[in-house]
Amino acid sequence: MRGTLDLMILRTLLPGPNHGHAIAKHIQRTTEDLLQVETGSLYPALYRLEASGWVAASWEKSEKGKRARYYRITPKGRKQLASEQSKWNAFVRAMATLLKPTGEEGP
Amino acid sequence: MSSMFRRFLWWVRGSRKEAELREELEFHLEQEARERREAGLAEEEALWAARRDLGNEARLKDDIRSIWTWRPLDELSQDLRFAFRTLFKHRAVAVFAIISLALGIGANTAIYSFMDALLLRSLPVGDPDSLVVMTWRSKHVTRPKPGEPSAFVMHSGDGSTFATSTGQEARIFPLPAFERLRDVAAPVLSTIFVRFPAGTLTVQVDGESELTNAEFVSGDFFRGIALSPGAGRLLLPEDDRASAPAVAVIHAGYAERRFGSLANAVGRRILVNNTPFTVVGVTAAEFDGIEPGITAGLYLPLQTNRALDRVDARRLSDPNWYWAEIMGRLRDRVTREQAEQALSTPFAQWAASTASNDIERANLPVLRVEDGGGGLDTLRRRYTKPLYLLLALVGLILAIACANTANLLLARATARQREIAVRLSIGAGRFRLIRQLLTESLVLSAISGALGVLIAIAGTRLLTLLLANSEDGLTLDAGLNWRVLGVTIALSVLCGGLFGLAPAIQTTRPALVPALKEMSRLPRYRLPQLLVVGQIALLMLLLVGAGLFVRTLSNLQSIPLGFNRDNLLLVELNAPQAGYPEANAAAFYDTLRQRVSEIPGVRGVTLAHSSLLKAGRSHPVSIDGVLADGTRFMQTGPRFFSTMQIPIVQGREIDERDLAGALPVVVVSEEFAKTFLPGQNPLGRRVHVGGGAGPLDLEIVGVSASARYGPLKRANPPVVYASYPQLPARQIRQMTYAVRTDGDPLSHVNTIRSLVRATDSRVPITRVTTQAAEIDETINQEIVLARLCTAFAILALVIASVGLYGTMAYGVARRTREFGIRMALGARRARVIWMVMREMLILMCLGLVLSIPLARAASRFVTSFLFDTQSNDFRAIALAVVTLASAALIAGYGPARKASTIDPTTALRQD
Repeated sequence: MRGTLDLMILRTLLPGPNHGHAIAKHIQRTTEDLLQVETGSLYPALYRLEASGWVAASWEKSEKGKRARYYRITPKGRKQLASEQSKWNAFVRAMATLLKPTGEEGP
Repeated sequence: MSSMFRRFLWWVRGSRKEAELREELEFHLEQEARERREAGLAEEEALWAARRDLGNEARLKDDIRSIWTWRPLDELSQDLRFAFRTLFKHRAVAVFAIISLALGIGANTAIYSFMDALLLRSLPVGDPDSLVVMTWRSKHVTRPKPGEPSAFVMHSGDGSTFATSTGQEARIFPLPAFERLRDVAAPVLSTIFVRFPAGTLTVQVDGESELTNAEFVSGDFFRGIALSPGAGRLLLPEDDRASAPAVAVIHAGYAERRFGSLANAVGRRILVNNTPFTVVGVTAAEFDGIEPGITAGLYLPLQTNRALDRVDARRLSDPNWYWAEIMGRLRDRVTREQAEQALSTPFAQWAASTASNDIERANLPVLRVEDGGGGLDTLRRRYTKPLYLLLALVGLILAIACANTANLLLARATARQREIAVRLSIGAGRFRLIRQLLTESLVLSAISGALGVLIAIAGTRLLTLLLANSEDGLTLDAGLNWRVLGVTIALSVLCGGLFGLAPAIQTTRPALVPALKEMSRLPRYRLPQLLVVGQIALLMLLLVGAGLFVRTLSNLQSIPLGFNRDNLLLVELNAPQAGYPEANAAAFYDTLRQRVSEIPGVRGVTLAHSSLLKAGRSHPVSIDGVLADGTRFMQTGPRFFSTMQIPIVQGREIDERDLAGALPVVVVSEEFAKTFLPGQNPLGRRVHVGGGAGPLDLEIVGVSASARYGPLKRANPPVVYASYPQLPARQIRQMTYAVRTDGDPLSHVNTIRSLVRATDSRVPITRVTTQAAEIDETINQEIVLARLCTAFAILALVIASVGLYGTMAYGVARRTREFGIRMALGARRARVIWMVMREMLILMCLGLVLSIPLARAASRFVTSFLFDTQSNDFRAIALAVVTLASAALIAGYGPARKASTIDPTTALRQD
């Protein structure tokens, strides 16, 4: 779904900055591999988010001592996340109502 | 930071971003590989798995790059690269279009920059807009016959009057008129002042003499033009009193050259025409005089005129002697019309009081107040028309060049119709395509513009040189005019854009299928043909114009002079002006003549008050009491006629025996003898000379053949030649030596200079030239016009011929298939050649027909530049037609031949 990946990335970055590989792993772990995030689409998404100003990137030392590009969510990104999240929630509610089994519609 | 700006920055830092992306992905792969290794995979396999997981790395990078590239810029650079590639591919066409446009742009800019400097630029003084200059107009005045009363209040003058459609106008006034205006001007003018060009004066600094242009100005002059001093102070009203000490202000450039620095000049004592003056100040550095193109080195108070020149002193009070130029500065919120209203009545009353009879009273000069911010304008009047003519010529060239470029672009775009159709059909955006075609035109125009700047700079220098040739004092700072350059470039861009775009829009119209299917049957455009016809008509104008100017020049050059112009050096001196006692001037001139005649290589030497071409002196001459009207006067030294090689048809010439004590003699010209003594023997008759030179009674001792006297374009007047030692001493002032030499006359200049210095070091040489150069100088305008116009015509001919060739060649290429079919059906080669040539001839004839009304309209404008040549001169027109026809035939023959050699089988197999 369009925008889903963006939403996931922003949510992943909420606790603190991280690099691309870690973001990918985190998404895979938390969705219990149900949602396969293609690495190939992760990086373009990160750059797109950066271009929109929702995340900012900087080069920092990783835990292994190597230079890595760390992404961190910006205030603008937080706002975007909040609004996307409420949209998503509304969508989920709508879908849930729609998909309710007919038998439960009551007598 | 907006998203657009961020992308722009990324785009700018492209290569660094690229490296960063590589590093980031490498880091990712490393992490992934390590994880896999930790999960138990072998080194190699772990790396492979990590790569597989990442997917197609190249495509990934491409996806990311597309985010950080800024599309408009990226596409622009794509368009530019493509444009350069296409231009390079068709470089012959491109180079030609660029050069012709550049020449058009450059020539226009150069000519206009010149006009701007001469005609439009304001004076470099404070608030030029409020400066005004007084002029007057009157009805036409017929010159009274001898004995009749004067017909106009201006009895004599020093300066120019100009003929207008209704009479005459001028900007010279008598000084009493200025005094009258000054008394009443206070309510409308804050200052009113006078200037008068004093011509060249001899200035002596520390014993060394030189000549400089000087101006007499009234005390308020510098305050009036609001100029600040560069050093010291400028002239004040107190300096312009009869009893004031003689002071002078000098020009900044002159001060720097003569005294080393501006401040150094202040307080110095100089001799002006042998009268002591003190330099009190220097003008501001940027001020180059009030008349465009003429720089005065010296400004003197009007009243010092009395001390410098006792003849001129009479002017200061003569109410019928017009000579001073009056300027003023408007008060705040006073318009020129208001000033004119306030001043014209007092002037009219004053002028009426100077009239001596009823005829004069019936046609009094009427005062007008005109805009003065551009300076006074003798030069302006002289060069305005030639410059407008040149502007018209280069305008024609620009038009031809634009038509050419348009045609080339049109042909190219039409040829690319199919390419465009293909690109559209595979999904190219229409707007994107148009933009790309437009980029090509713009690149073409931009290169032409850049080249045009260079041509304009060179052209401006060349023009300054050409024009400066004719005017010794011409100093014109004609910088490049960027506004004009902008306009001409914009024009060519517009032209390129318009014609580059028209076919683009036409082709990109969504009717693709027919374009793809029927390439051989494209609609025939009429536009190229129209452009060619227009070009031919304009070219015809230029060719005829060049022919006319060349004819004029050759007419002028073949005017019989009546004397030998070759190997003749002219040296001009003015001994009395340099302080030589009048009584001794004649002796000085004679001593110098004898010394010069002894120089080895000098065959003969004589002198006269002026060179023959510049002569223009008249005194009332009568014979037997009858006024010989229109007779001109010449002061000559001994052997004038034999040195100038003017034949004596009767009697003898003036020689060494005709000295002060001897019988006063005169030689008259053939015209004089025929006009005033028809059928009589002139020898022994007496001529009476009155006026300033007289009274003199001279006996005719000889009759000379007709020789030029005065400007080339006028008919020779009747002339009397007198012997200068027999004239009153006060009449002997300036003299011009004519030295006939073996070989190059200029090789003797240094010897003569040192001889003059040895005879009297105070007397400077005021002019040195050869007779041939002097003649060329007087017809300089015609020489320049003939050369420039010929150059322009050749240029236009080349531009138009190649354009013509291009159009025809393109037409043939388009009809390859048709010609193939005709050949296959048995058309002869000659017939095919004729088919193509016929089209060419039709275009040419249409162009010629179109040029007739254009030429009619233009001829009125050109007539005043011609001499002894009608604007419908048969030879000039015939020559132009022949030139044009041959150029057209040559341009057409190539494509025609190509059409005739088309191989039917190949042509028919073509798509």
